[in-house]
Amino acid sequence: MRLELVNITKQYRSGVRGVDAVTMHLDVGLVGLLGPNGAGKSSLMRIAATVTRPTSGQLLFDGENVVARPDKLRRSLGYLPQDFGVYPHLNATEFLAYLAAVKGLPAKTARTRIGELLELVDLTGAGKRPLGKYSGGMLRRVGIAQALLTDPDVLIVDEPTAGLDPEQRVTFRNMLADLAADRMVLLSTHIVSDVESVAADIVIMAGGRLLLRGAPEDMLRQAEGRVWETTVPAGALAQLRDRHPVSKMVRTSAGVRVRLLCPAAPIPDAVPVAPDLEDAYLTIVHDSAPRDRAGALQ
Amino acid sequence: MRARGLAALAIADFRERTRRPGYLVTLAVAVVLGYLALPPASSRYVIMNAGGYRGLYNSAWAGTVTALAGALWLMIAGFYVVRSAIARDQQTGVGQILAATALRNAGYLAGKLVSNLMVLASMAGVLAVTALAMQLARGETRAVALGALLLPYALFTLPVLALTASAAVLVETIPVLRGGLGNIAWFFVWMIFAIAGAGVPLGFGSVRASMRAAMTAQHLHSPAEFSVGFTQIAHPLRAFTWPGLAPSGGLVTARLVLIAVGCCLALAPAAWFGRFDPARARARVRRAAGGTGPVPAEAPVTDDTRHAERPVPRRLAAYRQLSTARTRRGPAFGRLLAGEARILVQGTSRWWWIGAGVVNVAALAIPDDLVKPVGASTALLLSAAWIWPVLTWSRIGAQRRENGLDALLGAYPGAYRQLAAEWLAGLVLTATTGLGPLLRMAITANGKGVAGWIGGALLIPSLALLLGTATGTHRAFQAMYVALWYAAVNQLAAADYMGTVLEHDRPAGPSPVLFASAGLSMVAVTFTIRAVHHATR
Repeated sequence: MRLELVNITKQYRSGVRGVDAVTMHLDVGLVGLLGPNGAGKSSLMRIAATVTRPTSGQLLFDGENVVARPDKLRRSLGYLPQDFGVYPHLNATEFLAYLAAVKGLPAKTARTRIGELLELVDLTGAGKRPLGKYSGGMLRRVGIAQALLTDPDVLIVDEPTAGLDPEQRVTFRNMLADLAADRMVLLSTHIVSDVESVAADIVIMAGGRLLLRGAPEDMLRQAEGRVWETTVPAGALAQLRDRHPVSKMVRTSAGVRVRLLCPAAPIPDAVPVAPDLEDAYLTIVHDSAPRDRAGALQ
Repeated sequence: MRARGLAALAIADFRERTRRPGYLVTLAVAVVLGYLALPPASSRYVIMNAGGYRGLYNSAWAGTVTALAGALWLMIAGFYVVRSAIARDQQTGVGQILAATALRNAGYLAGKLVSNLMVLASMAGVLAVTALAMQLARGETRAVALGALLLPYALFTLPVLALTASAAVLVETIPVLRGGLGNIAWFFVWMIFAIAGAGVPLGFGSVRASMRAAMTAQHLHSPAEFSVGFTQIAHPLRAFTWPGLAPSGGLVTARLVLIAVGCCLALAPAAWFGRFDPARARARVRRAAGGTGPVPAEAPVTDDTRHAERPVPRRLAAYRQLSTARTRRGPAFGRLLAGEARILVQGTSRWWWIGAGVVNVAALAIPDDLVKPVGASTALLLSAAWIWPVLTWSRIGAQRRENGLDALLGAYPGAYRQLAAEWLAGLVLTATTGLGPLLRMAITANGKGVAGWIGGALLIPSLALLLGTATGTHRAFQAMYVALWYAAVNQLAAADYMGTVLEHDRPAGPSPVLFASAGLSMVAVTFTIRAVHHATR
């Protein structure tokens, strides 16, 4: 079981390349897709989920190109888009029953599965209420339930934790890690902490291009010797931020304790520190960015 | 609210709407209307007929005929284009952002009125430019008088547009009219204006008087009949010279009053406009339901919200304990059809079903010969039965996009099965709502009536599916179907898709096979459109 994206490009009518010549493959396991807003993550996810057709390139599922005939992949796919709507007058059970029928799930299996999934995402008590009266977090959980309806071989989830409270985020991340034991999971987010605890395989995108793919250690290696900490007066902070990307700041009685990225010591009393994944991510994205975007990242 | 703020609100809204593809379509239609309004001298159709005469194609005639025809057209088509300004703010969440500012209700509604008017005026502007181009292209007189060309737009079109823009705002602020019922109500208002009251709201009376005076001065027979609208004629019209209208003070005042009435219509809802506060809507629902308890200050449904905020138990991680679920091809079509039917009628009140039931029971209970000619009562009840579900039909093909499900369902298999099930659900609804008249015709061995029924039953959901899929909105079907139905109930045989126009006790319209074939062709076109969407997704 393998999903391959071969030289995938998506060029929109405006001429903008949302995805630019991306080649990658997915095997069993969890891949975390990281990138700043506008990096092309959602475009790539939609292409991988067969919702968007690439301008060029191939999407191979078990060696078969599914760009023109996507149903083979769709039957094995669970997809949670970043934004999606619902039929507001249907309740969660009816909505999931409809989607189960679209997927071709047998009636008895669908009934059992829907009940179990509603319990899994803790919506059993609200299963008979119209979806139009759900909160954002509840709708997100309905989205998670529909993605898991058919026990998919390929699970593609785009910003799945948006709208969930901190505890729900943790439990859902853990569930994704659990699911990845015997299926492909592609998790897209711009929150580094969402992937660092569950993904042993991380892809970083920016400007539509794939910047790096590797293990967290590979990312950390990119930032080694480039992370510094220092404490500066509040008045000097703006000048420092103009010159170097800042990854963390803490206000203390002695001034502002700053963690920043720089190839060499930015000021004489700065001390080198070990990078974490967020430092590494910022370093990689900053190094790839044009000067104007680099400024914005700071 | 300061004028600058009002202008900013109106301009932002105007930009948002004019950057949609549908806007370009309406501009293209304006160009076509301008072209049709000044046909070649030998043409067998006219847009304005002064009792067998037409004006020489000078600026005054070109401006007046396009301004009057444009006012009529924009009053109905323009209304459907602009009537979702507030609904869009609701859907996008922009409304709640605006509601949290110092913007007053009256300011917000005025901004929407101005924005609506700008959209409609831009269409009228394209029409005026087309009129000038057509005057020069026809070449009967090349003298351009911009004042004479534009004066009818200011006098006749602009006030009607102001009224239309205001009505669109008003309709959006009255809950019962906010949906498709508002579209249908406006259609009938337009019919009344266009047929019964064109002289007053359109100002056609003053134009007619001015033309009569010009024809008398030219020693021509002063006609009794004037008409505006597409009309076929046996012989080309003769031309006379009309120098244009010299507006009286009374006419200008009347037109200003119409604009003022429009503004009042748009601003009156400031008294009850809810500023996108969902709590007010809930309060209305509770009052309607007879509830007397206090309404919670926030959150959609209190029970749900408590439920949502409760910590999620750790059982999320227990996914592996769930039963297996593997898909199979084919067996779920019945449930898919049931699902589509449920989606189609979602949110329909029990009163709607009771209404549909009453019509059908009446069709079975009322004897066929109670009203002459025989079969007329069944035809009338079938007409009633097949206007009743117009709002529900209009969801076919459109509600997936309108509810934002494209992103989700786009990754699901069997796109064409979904489409087929959606059409079949529409067909089932059509058959169900017209079942009483069908049984009555079957009982009375009215074979031609049954054939007409089948033609109509195939045409209606097919038309809805085609228009919904092609446009992505429910409005196109609502506008087109109501017009078609209106033509049929007014005994226009060519539009008799239900087999209800009777001559000598027999259907007088085209063969039901024609409508059935048209319906099935529409389904085929819809599948093609879906295939194109899929290929260019």
